[in-house]
Amino acid sequence: MKRFSSTMISLVVALGLFALTGSLAMAQAPKPKILKPCSQCHAPDEKILRGMLGGISQKAETFSVNTGAIWTVKFDDSTKLAGWPPPVGKLPKDKEIAIKFVERNGEIYAESISVKQPARLPEDKVVNTDFVAERVEKGDALIIDSRPAVRFYEGAIPGAINIYDADFDKHIDKLPKDKNKLLVFYCAGPT
Amino acid sequence: MPAWRKAGKLTIECVQCLVERVKLDIPTIVVDLRSVYEAKKGHIPGAVSIPITELSAAYEKFPKDKKAPIVLYSYDTKSAIQAFEIISVWGGFTHITVLEGGFEEWKKINGKIATGDMPNRIIWEPRPRPGEISIEEFKAIAERKPADKFILDVRDTEEAENGMLIGAKNIPTQDVPKRFVEIPKDKEIIVHCLTGVRAELAFHALKDAGYKTRFLNAIIKVDPTGRYEITKE
Repeated sequence: MKRFSSTMISLVVALGLFALTGSLAMAQAPKPKILKPCSQCHAPDEKILRGMLGGISQKAETFSVNTGAIWTVKFDDSTKLAGWPPPVGKLPKDKEIAIKFVERNGEIYAESISVKQPARLPEDKVVNTDFVAERVEKGDALIIDSRPAVRFYEGAIPGAINIYDADFDKHIDKLPKDKNKLLVFYCAGPT
Repeated sequence: MPAWRKAGKLTIECVQCLVERVKLDIPTIVVDLRSVYEAKKGHIPGAVSIPITELSAAYEKFPKDKKAPIVLYSYDTKSAIQAFEIISVWGGFTHITVLEGGFEEWKKINGKIATGDMPNRIIWEPRPRPGEISIEEFKAIAERKPADKFILDVRDTEEAENGMLIGAKNIPTQDVPKRFVEIPKDKEIIVHCLTGVRAELAFHALKDAGYKTRFLNAIIKVDPTGRYEITKE
């Protein structure tokens, strides 16, 4: 009974809001379901929200997700979780997540949540400092320092050339003609 | 690069790099490894004289701050590398580089030369990079948004879409020179990115274009609601 009445109230409130803002809301674009950076790898899907996890309320069994707009999503014990140890209530904030959802009574329920796994380069494409030191010694690779010039001025791996990552496309001509030559890229981690 | 430095492996820089570094007023310690006699006859301005023959016993002449940015040079690259190896044995110094081509190369590019007495030990006070704003002042500006300041976020659009400072404007670093029209001339431009690296680039571009500007040289993370956290390495 209690549940019914609260649903009624929210329905009334929702109708009232709709009456007030309905014409405005209709003129606006629908709320995005996918955060722009996610769309680089994932196609938009009507049944999936992709974005960054906001706050979670364990008591109310809801969390918010930012897809460029903020969505409030309900979950419960039956919500499946992939890519992170359960429970859902303990997911860290700002995780990039995909939510497969269903709509019930105007509310959004998460059927399953999957957490984005950290991007990994294939292991055979990553080298260590000893490997690079050996290339420096033998001179059999082109070493490319991807940092901005200001950082390159302050010291670099011997023999490295500087092509700042953001300008890379403009400097393709600096790469060796021989496409079989090994290229080793490095930077300073995040910028 | 951090892994390379931590492993104590050799880093070098070109003579032109040192010229640029001095021009940009980036804090730099220059060490001349030649004999005192030779160094006095002509050396890179501001250099400290520590002859390689005395280097093994010169640990005390080096700064306590292991991140101190030191450039070693001698006549040529090879002898400066020997010095680099001696210092590597002490361990810990992470920002030591060897000047490629040494003093000979410096002369070839007509680098400035000073003569006469030189200091014989390094005196080092870490100082902010040119244009660096303190974290406290940055925070005060982000909170109060004074009318004479303009916060410019130079991260990529995708990063900014995940959360920006309230009232800030996003123009990615590489687009800044193309979009000066969007940046007011009558305000001081306070630039930030994620770590300070790109902000510094944009700072130089803005400064060269005649803007009054400073940048945040620290890690700043902004959440979708505009709340932020600043940490310094």
